Amino acid sequence: MSVLDIKNIHIDFPTSKGVVHAVTDVTLSIEKGRRIGFIGESGSGKTTTALAAMRMLANPGFVAGGEVHLNSLDGDTNVLHLDDEQMRRVRLRKISYIPQGAMNSLNPVMRVDAQIWDAVVAHEGGLSQADLQARSDTALDGVGLDPKVVGRLFPHELSGGMKQRVCIAIGTCLTPDLIIADEPTSALDVITQRHVMQTLREMQEKIGAGLILIGHDMGLMAQSVDDIAVLKKGVLVEFGPVRKIIEDAEHPYTRELIASVPLVGGDSFLSAQASPPKGERLDKPLLELDGVSKQYGAVTALHPMSFALDGEEPKIISIVGQSGSGKSTMGSLMLGFNDPSAGQVRFKGDDINAMSAGAKLAFRKQVQAVFQDPYACFNPFYRVNHALKFPYENFGMGGDVQTAMEEACTAVGLDPSLVLGRYPHQLSGGQRQRLIVARALMLSPKLLIADEPVSMVDASLRATILANIHDLKDKHGISIIYITHDLATAYHVSDYVMVLYHGHVVEAGPPKEVIGDPQHAYTRLLIDSIPWPDLDRDWGDADDARAALDELARIGGTPETVYRGDIPGFTLGQG
Amino acid sequence: MGRIPLSYLLNRLFTLFLTVFIAATLIWIIPRLSPVNPVDVMLGRMASGGGSVENSGAILAQLTERFGLNDPWYVQFWLYIKNTLTFDFGISTASFPTPVASMIAAALPWTLGLMIVSLIITFIIGNLLGALMVWEHTPRLWKVAIPAAMVFTSIPPILSGLLLMYIFSSQLGWFPLNGAYGLNTEPGWSLDFAGSVLYHGFLPAMSIVVVTFGFWALGMRGLMITVQGEDYTILAKAKGLRKRYILYRYMIRNAILPQITAFALKIGMLVAGQVLVERIFAYNGMGKLLYDAILDQDFPVIQGVSFVIILMTAVAVFLVDLIYPFIDPRIRHGA
Amino acid sequence: MSHDNAAAPETAAPDMTGITRKQLKRMRRFDNPWNNPKLIWGIGLLLGIVLLGVLGRFFWDPELVFTGAGMPRQGPVGIENLRGQVGTWAHPLGTDVSGKDILALLIVGAPNSLYVGVLASLIGMSIGIFLGFSAGYTGGRVDDVIRVSSDVMITIPPLLILVVVQASFGDITLTMMAILIAAFVWQSPTRLIRAQVLSMRESGYVQMARLSGASNMHIMFREMLPNLVPYLFGSFIANVTTSIVTAVGLEVLGLGPQRVPTLGRVIYDAISSAALTQNMWWWWGFPTILLGVMFIGLLLINLGLDEVSNPRLRKL
Repeated sequence: MSVLDIKNIHIDFPTSKGVVHAVTDVTLSIEKGRRIGFIGESGSGKTTTALAAMRMLANPGFVAGGEVHLNSLDGDTNVLHLDDEQMRRVRLRKISYIPQGAMNSLNPVMRVDAQIWDAVVAHEGGLSQADLQARSDTALDGVGLDPKVVGRLFPHELSGGMKQRVCIAIGTCLTPDLIIADEPTSALDVITQRHVMQTLREMQEKIGAGLILIGHDMGLMAQSVDDIAVLKKGVLVEFGPVRKIIEDAEHPYTRELIASVPLVGGDSFLSAQASPPKGERLDKPLLELDGVSKQYGAVTALHPMSFALDGEEPKIISIVGQSGSGKSTMGSLMLGFNDPSAGQVRFKGDDINAMSAGAKLAFRKQVQAVFQDPYACFNPFYRVNHALKFPYENFGMGGDVQTAMEEACTAVGLDPSLVLGRYPHQLSGGQRQRLIVARALMLSPKLLIADEPVSMVDASLRATILANIHDLKDKHGISIIYITHDLATAYHVSDYVMVLYHGHVVEAGPPKEVIGDPQHAYTRLLIDSIPWPDLDRDWGDADDARAALDELARIGGTPETVYRGDIPGFTLGQG
Repeated sequence: MGRIPLSYLLNRLFTLFLTVFIAATLIWIIPRLSPVNPVDVMLGRMASGGGSVENSGAILAQLTERFGLNDPWYVQFWLYIKNTLTFDFGISTASFPTPVASMIAAALPWTLGLMIVSLIITFIIGNLLGALMVWEHTPRLWKVAIPAAMVFTSIPPILSGLLLMYIFSSQLGWFPLNGAYGLNTEPGWSLDFAGSVLYHGFLPAMSIVVVTFGFWALGMRGLMITVQGEDYTILAKAKGLRKRYILYRYMIRNAILPQITAFALKIGMLVAGQVLVERIFAYNGMGKLLYDAILDQDFPVIQGVSFVIILMTAVAVFLVDLIYPFIDPRIRHGA
Repeated sequence: MSHDNAAAPETAAPDMTGITRKQLKRMRRFDNPWNNPKLIWGIGLLLGIVLLGVLGRFFWDPELVFTGAGMPRQGPVGIENLRGQVGTWAHPLGTDVSGKDILALLIVGAPNSLYVGVLASLIGMSIGIFLGFSAGYTGGRVDDVIRVSSDVMITIPPLLILVVVQASFGDITLTMMAILIAAFVWQSPTRLIRAQVLSMRESGYVQMARLSGASNMHIMFREMLPNLVPYLFGSFIANVTTSIVTAVGLEVLGLGPQRVPTLGRVIYDAISSAALTQNMWWWWGFPTILLGVMFIGLLLINLGLDEVSNPRLRKL
């Protein structure tokens, strides 16, 4: 029997540019105990459709047509006909919601316990303090949190994964018919993501509710749901069992979504270039870290590290790690944005933190970067060409700026006449990030630091942008340090991989070895935690995930480095 | 309730002492930069005014000694700071030989009473109205009426005081024109006196409230818009909580936090506004004392009143800072 | 790849059918934040006061501000005073107890009050920009000193220190008063700019500028400052209000310039001569209303600027 039936629903948003039809004629049913994935890119209407069932559309959106039937209601089952008080009673008791922003979804001034109690009281009336305590204890226990400790804490004292598990505890404490989970793990790293998803599945199976999982990651969907609904621009383009969708999708858009998930192994999305142009020959290494470490107060972000990259033959060196591993600290140390606490960062033999103004300018010209957030990289006050023109003129590149900009845009697949004269907010994230790559190309540096260049770009564009970056090495002879949390892309683009954990290199070597056949416990855990769009691969259950986290805690502070072989032109120092 | 982190407490105490010290120093230095040294003027005035007072010669000699006008500046400064911190502001020149401290002590309760009542009323009304401007369930009529009332915001209380006084005291005669209590009521713990105080205090308090609530309402409006979009507010709604409960425990409870900080920063301005209101209503507080002192060029009183009001402000800020960690658990845990 | 060249390609295209002309007009206003009714009204009110001061001098004799310019205690046109005299067109807004013409006092006094406010605020802003950028961009010790001193100075009510200053120095000029007030209105812009600079310092476009080898001056004034403009305007207007309130406060206490007519001074004279009990409402009433208009104008500008810099405050 179905829990929820959505029939021919239309949702409109009046905006300053006219009415946006966010959802057009979507029909589907959610069966009891079944998990449905809503997948699509940002703005596809996946969250909007799900929220319509709770009547919680963001202003000024409204349901313009259609019906939403919650079959456990008495009498008229259409939730769109309920009055406000009836609707309030449906929320959480019949349909619960697990929000996207794990970091901010709990009231910062209330203890965790109290945030479960108020939900219970709102639906079941005044209970005794002992009863309430028992309810919150059960709820927290169910998601694997210690009620005696966690219940008394404030949200800011919890980690992201714990907060999201508290949200699951709240969402399941009244045993609803349907749980709507809106990208519940998008703010978490892969290891925590696996644990939270397993907890969610476990709780959902226990109470036998239907589950709508909203997401954009086909791999996560493949590991988590029974059916998939693919949405594009507010239209349901494909709906069916997960195996059918993954293995034999009918709609080209679905196939595109699946293809956009890079896999470890398999075909590369890059076209191989026979002979990349050589860089200049140098006596000193292009970039050298000599015993560099970084401390912030009592916290060590990076333990002493040494490596040398000669730059004669351009290479892509990947630095892989989760948040807090020290990888972004490394990036800013190499750019000279941050002084090391000990050791030296040398560029062509010169300490970059002890350069004269002239030498510093020359260093800047030769070392460029692409950052994570393409939205922040353009000054909103200027048209986008300011970001390209200014460095070109400041470095005295000579030649015609306009021609150089146009050539660079064309090289990354942008039409210069359409993008250059615009303001940043008029461009999409993908366009902006390609402009930043074009900027790097124009300046023809010797070294490019790419810090998570594709993590904030929609999945379908990631491969294109990575190909653009890869071209910088192959066609323009630029050495690249690629900093990422994503092992699969590192596997494909890099010549050498370093895996960072708590500021230590735990495993290093060519990607085929390190990622294709990991030896270190942490690397293995990372790779096991990645959700692939592969249905026959077992992601394990919540106990496995918990055991893995315990294993991580055991590795603790001073892990050993596992060396997996060398490549010419790059040497990683010992210790 | 948890404890306040020691570093936080020390930090606030340091700010308190620094504020008081800087204020005291400014009050000391400024007259000495003037071409006519008011201390000389003051002593001269005392000498002439003292003719009719017994022992005036002795008192004056003692004063001259105490000001140590022939000592080097740092000795004078040290003496001044020592006296100020023990609330010894010298002797009034206009009401010779009344000590300034006793004049201030008589006026202070009136100012404090009026200040506490009007500030708290304004803060509560202002924030509540600001919250209602944003809340989605506010009746339509309120949503129109509240912004209309904002017109008075940022008009200084002296102007509203003048208008209210003209309308309600001068024209309608509903409220008294001046004073803090009736002339024929005896100060004391009687119902009669309390009634008279409330009756006299109503207009001065109202003239502060009607023009300053808008400041809080506008600030609250911006904060509520932010809080309204926060994930925890959305989750609260998804939890099926009652709308009033969400308004108080989720929205206002969080939006009020920056307002409390703003309160600490704004106290100085509000107190200054009140001093002027007191002057207009001839209320028996510090404002009137200050105004009379300016008229009489009674320098010790001007210095004393200024210092005490600044001290009050600094202590109020300190108290707000002290309460804040109990309202925001994130500060309590040093986050 | 072709769809990628259109702006914001992810969402469905908007549909313009079924929208009334009134809605369209509102939407256009939403798209151009500077076309804000509050902002326009606020600027209009202030311009009106400036015009009163500038044009008034051509149509009315500013010499009438002096004692004995006319019959004392005259009411405005058609209003009878306590002696039974009816006001005439010789003094359309009446005269005070010493025969000064109220209209002339307003024409000369209103621009003076505005002048003090704008000058004090300009000086305060300049200090604030300098200190805010120094603290936010340099950090370290400089930041600590600036932060603590602005924290301390923001709690000291300027009025009380200025009372001491004026009681010591006696008569001062308008400009001198503006400079004195400026010494107490730099704290909030300093704090505001410091906070903004701190967050901008980590922003992507500032890092990009550093990568481009930009100098500190370029980053501060070419990259950061333009984005601060709405905040600076807002802070400036708020400071003009604070400065005028402080100046009027001093004047109402009988301090401030003694020989120059200002609106606060007129109110001071009115209160000290018991205009309220003598029912000479025009004496204090007109300057009060004019000050009120000035403050409402400033408030509207500030509200408008708030909506310009924070689109969430705007309503569609």
